Amino acid sequence: MTRKNNNFIMRAVVYVGYFMALFPLLVLIIWSFTGIWPWPQLLPETFSLRALDELFGGYSGAIKALISSGLISAVVALLSIVVSLPAARAIVLCDFLGRDLLKFIVLMPVIVPATAFAMGIDVLFMKIGLSDTVLGVILVHIILCLPYTVRIMTEVTEATGDKLEVQARVLGASPLKVFTNITLPIALPGIISSVCMAFIVSFSQYFITLLIGGGTVVTYAMFMFPYIQSGDRTIASAYSVLFLLSTLIVFVFLDRTVKKYYDIGDVFYFN
Amino acid sequence: MKRIINCTFIFFMALILLTAGCGKSSAQQGATTTDNNKFDSIIKNAKGTTVNFYAWGGDERINKWVDTVLAKKVKEDYDITLKRIPVDDIQTVISKLTDEKQADVQKGSIDLIWVNGENFYTAKKNNLLYGPFTQNLPNYLKYVDQNSDDVKYDFGTAVDGLESPYGKAEFVLINDAAVTPETPKNTQELLDFAKKYKGKVTYPAPPDFTGSAFLRNVIYDIVGYDKVKAAGTDKQKIKEAIQPALDYLKELKPYLWKEGKTYPASIGQLDNMFADGEAVLDISYDPNAVAGMISKGKIKDTARDFIFDKGMIGNTHFLAIPANAGNRDGALAVVNAVLSPEIQASKYNPANWGDLPVLDNAKLSSTEKELFDKIPLGKGVIPQATLLSKRLPELPADMVPLIEEIWQSEIPNK
Amino acid sequence: MSYSRFKPYLMILPVVLVMAIFIIGLINGVLQSFGIIPAAGLTKLTLSYYQEVLNNGDLTASLWLSVYISLATSVIAVVIGVLVSVAATTSGLVKSKFFQILKIPVIVPHTVSALLMLNLFSQSGIVARMAYRMHLIRGQEGFISIMFDKNSIGIILAYLWKEIPFVIMIVVTIMANINSSFGEAAVNLGASKGKVFKHITLPLCLPSITTSFIIIFAYSFGAYEIPYLLGATDPKALPVQAYVEFVYPDIAHRPFAMVLNSLMIIFTVAIAYIYYKILSKNLVKSGMSND
Repeated sequence: MTRKNNNFIMRAVVYVGYFMALFPLLVLIIWSFTGIWPWPQLLPETFSLRALDELFGGYSGAIKALISSGLISAVVALLSIVVSLPAARAIVLCDFLGRDLLKFIVLMPVIVPATAFAMGIDVLFMKIGLSDTVLGVILVHIILCLPYTVRIMTEVTEATGDKLEVQARVLGASPLKVFTNITLPIALPGIISSVCMAFIVSFSQYFITLLIGGGTVVTYAMFMFPYIQSGDRTIASAYSVLFLLSTLIVFVFLDRTVKKYYDIGDVFYFN
Repeated sequence: MKRIINCTFIFFMALILLTAGCGKSSAQQGATTTDNNKFDSIIKNAKGTTVNFYAWGGDERINKWVDTVLAKKVKEDYDITLKRIPVDDIQTVISKLTDEKQADVQKGSIDLIWVNGENFYTAKKNNLLYGPFTQNLPNYLKYVDQNSDDVKYDFGTAVDGLESPYGKAEFVLINDAAVTPETPKNTQELLDFAKKYKGKVTYPAPPDFTGSAFLRNVIYDIVGYDKVKAAGTDKQKIKEAIQPALDYLKELKPYLWKEGKTYPASIGQLDNMFADGEAVLDISYDPNAVAGMISKGKIKDTARDFIFDKGMIGNTHFLAIPANAGNRDGALAVVNAVLSPEIQASKYNPANWGDLPVLDNAKLSSTEKELFDKIPLGKGVIPQATLLSKRLPELPADMVPLIEEIWQSEIPNK
Repeated sequence: MSYSRFKPYLMILPVVLVMAIFIIGLINGVLQSFGIIPAAGLTKLTLSYYQEVLNNGDLTASLWLSVYISLATSVIAVVIGVLVSVAATTSGLVKSKFFQILKIPVIVPHTVSALLMLNLFSQSGIVARMAYRMHLIRGQEGFISIMFDKNSIGIILAYLWKEIPFVIMIVVTIMANINSSFGEAAVNLGASKGKVFKHITLPLCLPSITTSFIIIFAYSFGAYEIPYLLGATDPKALPVQAYVEFVYPDIAHRPFAMVLNSLMIIFTVAIAYIYYKILSKNLVKSGMSND
């Protein structure tokens, strides 16, 4: 009996969670089409399509920015993994000078307020000619993603260890085979989650992209934020909904592609 | 082994990046002419180039007008591609220009900026702008009243040809006639208004741009522009001069939203509160904002502007060109286009933006005057003649932050 | 070990290079707090900005407010996040397709989260309207004011909406994996579910929980967007104060912003460092450190 009650409570908790996550988003979607929504109405009094006009009207460049931002964030995510995976394996499996320090430093971009290093990096990039370039923006985004990707990859490596690789080597497999057939597949769920996290971080960046990229790199966030700041809820909500949809589409795409190639049940480590 | 895979991967990534990078940075650099006396050579150099125009992007109607009407004109007249880069605060752009100066960047990617007031003051003080250039623009010489204080001074700072007028603003108050039939004509009536609609009146906290204007307008109404201006940039003197206004605001506090202990952080918030009915008073620097909001369907069509008898603050907003603009000639051509009567009239049309024009009526031909005369008055908007007759100048830009600081330390939470 | 050929230093090289850029940028930024901004004509190293800020009485109020906000946010987020993770794991719902829903708030930018909370909980918000419809309140003023007030409840809610799913995202899979592998083994050997959780699952999840706690604490301490949009006019949270100084029209004011930023960095780094030291000690004690 108690176990059944317990289970019921547990399920209820999770369902409440679903509601809390979804309800505000539902309100967001309604706001995207709202004209006037005065007190005390529960639904808008008038509806309006001006947000759709702005987004898809073709003159604002919002959709173009959406696609190019998506590409940039995808590259950022991939490069973050390329940089994080070896580092995570080294941190977990090897002992080297400054290991604890590195574990700590890598978290700093999240700890430090953006304005603090944005101005400094801006000047630095200008001096080495990376300012106003796509490469500069990508580099800065990678910096901001590392706290998440390195930590996730570190935890994945800690949880899985390297015993399987050692066994495979003992059995005679070459290092390349070990990597492609064991290391990569085991790490893949963690890689995918890191990719997703990095993509989100990069896609949401505003201030630093404006500063470092300026006119050369116009991201979707640069279109979205002035509307959020100006308080135009209809347009801000529409931009946010499109933002969410695009991110979800990217994730679903990743999910499907990886499943096709690697035949894994749970693609997402945090599934 | 992994190293090789990693290296190949990075190599391919780098290839993609390089090609992507190539595509993006082309067609943006226009030649900078040292001889800027000939507008013709400016146009020749600007032909086929792209101009990066940095402007506040929080109003989709303004954005649409720039992207369609203005962009079309400069494309047709000068074969220039106008690229609008939205920002939420032009201050960030000024910061970037400062950094570029520090790093000695000769050719930046910022060609044209929409700026005024304190930001212009900073840019001018730190030598971030190109100019003087207005004398080289045919339309400026032809249509603008160069002796008008509205054009010569920006928040009390001498323009000195470093920026060109874009449009005019005037501070107005807004309410809904169906909800609040009164239109307070001075601060005393405003106090009665707040008492009547207790808890539903408030203003954005300075240093919000519009909230700061409300504060200054209240000061003008109670103390008068000349007395405040005379105090100069001495914070103590300013405080003494505006003390009656501070006392008034303290008297106003208990009748305000949240008893005046806290204030909306931005004008956007107040706009939303007004639309929701949580506030019965709204404010704006744009007299046509009320028409814009009505046409967007954000507020009811019974809303309207009203102003104080003693006058409301008015200012001009400008376009400026950074000293290290990559496409200086392109920017000059765009500024010239902005000063044409068709563009100013189109901008003034409430169906597009509703921003007041900056051209001198006396310099317009009768056909050109007609362009403006046939523009319908926006819904709920006070006629231009009335607005202009009650216009008061802005205080010097370096006084404004001091006044904001005094408000911050005297009013909220005390 | 098969990796003895690969010097670990080579493996960490890319990360080190990237972080080096970050550190240089940070140092450049911090230099501004000592009054070095060549573009504005300031070139002398000075401590005067620090003196001025530290002498200002408003600083303590802002500091306490920021500590309160970040502490409340991180503690509540971790506690509720772990609880929901436990509920999801034990009820099996973690395997359901719908479980992904709980992670969607992570995708939403913080400023949008602020917008959402405003929509819901302001005095003219959706919840207030529902209460009005149900005759629980008589007008907008009847709804308790949780936005823009000194208790910063609105700010904390906006953070929590995003951070609780963040904790869940980080913690739940490890929890589920451990539960199914070690957990089942232990139960087969006779341990009760409670004991399994307390002595196996929870300790193994601790690194993830710690990571999320530190990230949330540090981020909410230093981020300005949400307290800027939802906070009271006075006192302002530290990052909001820094931002206000930062956009002050006169660039010569920049050092003040950088002083505040530096103080924030020192504070969060110190907290994070202490936390790590305590944690590694504990992990070594329970024999679980990966040394």
